[in-house]
Amino acid sequence: MVNYQEVGEQFLVSDPRQLRPVAEKIIQFAGDHKVWLFNGDMGAGKTTMIQAICQAKGVVDAVTSPTYTVIREYRDLSGEEYYHFDFYRLKDLKEALDIGCDEYFDSGNYCFIEWPDLVAPILPEKYITINIQVQPDHDRLIKVTKND
Amino acid sequence: MCSFHMPKTPTILAIESSCDETSAAVVHQGKVLNNIIATQTIHENYGGVVPELASRAHESNIVPVVDSALQKAGINKHQLDAVAFTRGPGLLGSLLVGTSFAKSMALSLDIPLIAVDHMEAHAMSHFIDQPFPRFPFLCLTVSGGHTQIELVEDYLEMKVLGMTRDDAVGEAFDKIAKLLGFPYPGGPLLDSEAQKGNPEAFRFPSTEVDGLDYSFSGIKTAVMYFLQDSVKSDSGFIQRNLPDLCASIQHTLIDMLLKKLVNAAKQHRIKQVAIAGGVSANSGLRERISELAETLGWEIYIPDFQYCTDNAAMIAITAHFKYLKGEFASLDISPDPRLGH
Repeated sequence: MVNYQEVGEQFLVSDPRQLRPVAEKIIQFAGDHKVWLFNGDMGAGKTTMIQAICQAKGVVDAVTSPTYTVIREYRDLSGEEYYHFDFYRLKDLKEALDIGCDEYFDSGNYCFIEWPDLVAPILPEKYITINIQVQPDHDRLIKVTKND
Repeated sequence: MCSFHMPKTPTILAIESSCDETSAAVVHQGKVLNNIIATQTIHENYGGVVPELASRAHESNIVPVVDSALQKAGINKHQLDAVAFTRGPGLLGSLLVGTSFAKSMALSLDIPLIAVDHMEAHAMSHFIDQPFPRFPFLCLTVSGGHTQIELVEDYLEMKVLGMTRDDAVGEAFDKIAKLLGFPYPGGPLLDSEAQKGNPEAFRFPSTEVDGLDYSFSGIKTAVMYFLQDSVKSDSGFIQRNLPDLCASIQHTLIDMLLKKLVNAAKQHRIKQVAIAGGVSANSGLRERISELAETLGWEIYIPDFQYCTDNAAMIAITAHFKYLKGEFASLDISPDPRLGH
């Protein structure tokens, strides 16, 4: 058995191999919420968490960091589309709108968003937030909350 | 699509709009005549300012950029034999602008349309200027968005041998630079600081993944931990050690890049090695790869810097070879952000 502690929608992870079962819990928790926000400092493991979630969803494409391209698109085995965003290098909301990100958010497909603060004003009402906090001993505290 | 008159010495207009840059180039008889990238100057001629990013920026860039490429080549659009565009990979909104523009032009001029894979074009950038590599050769494409090793067997035949599983190496440079206090993207600033430092001063663990794949996410986190711990006991640590930190980090990243490249060269018994992409401007990479070349008897090919970053010249030269092979796209083609997956 994988060894992680769970407090409500909280997970304490000490090894990247524990991310897969955490991903499955988050998928269950999210229900039909398709827009997922990922908060955490640089190096906290946002992309790594999304890799585990995509793996659990059966995504067939390589899931890599979208910092440069801003958006990456993936498909799963059934052909469903996933969008992976990273707004780290964008300067303002206008740039995000120019990319048409509001259309992606409304698409009904999964949207995994790193550095989401920039797009806060245009998020749909329903989303979940995944906060990843690096602990002093380098463990990761992952807290998941839901917005309805 | 073979109803077109096919000259052996085609003149082709190429458009690149996969990410930030809007670029146009004209190639005639396999010689790239120009490589126009949207800049403030081009926009000033049209009374505008250069927008910063993304699809709507491409929309306002594309006419001035194409116009400028045709003008500088001294031709008008009726002398074109084909129009080429970047089909992917990239950002959908950005790709759409180039795709739609190229399709409209091909339709209205009644000339063939050529779809180009951006990554294939990076490898083909070695055929813009002499000396050309001989086949087969290895190409290490390193940029902010990509890190991969390709085995290039012929003009339009290549296999991806390995690629990054998380961050691109250019992204690792930029993000580690940010941790050191440089503005983003600080990769080039880290490089110039590294030249004043000792590459052996600090050791960072490099991440090992199987085969010829790369992973650069772990070293970013390792540097983050190291800096946090060091600053805790000595708040001036980064400032006092900046050149040594930069040199050591750069050394580690380049070690990781070259280790897999050497393995690939051994496995495929190849001594023709090329690098492409924006990170090929990194002085440390150029120096180390030249040293390796001497030790291992490699011949090294690095394109002119303007052909390393995203540019239309590489799309144009790829389109030239596709034209000669009669590889044309139909007008109902759409962009593919996932191309290469």
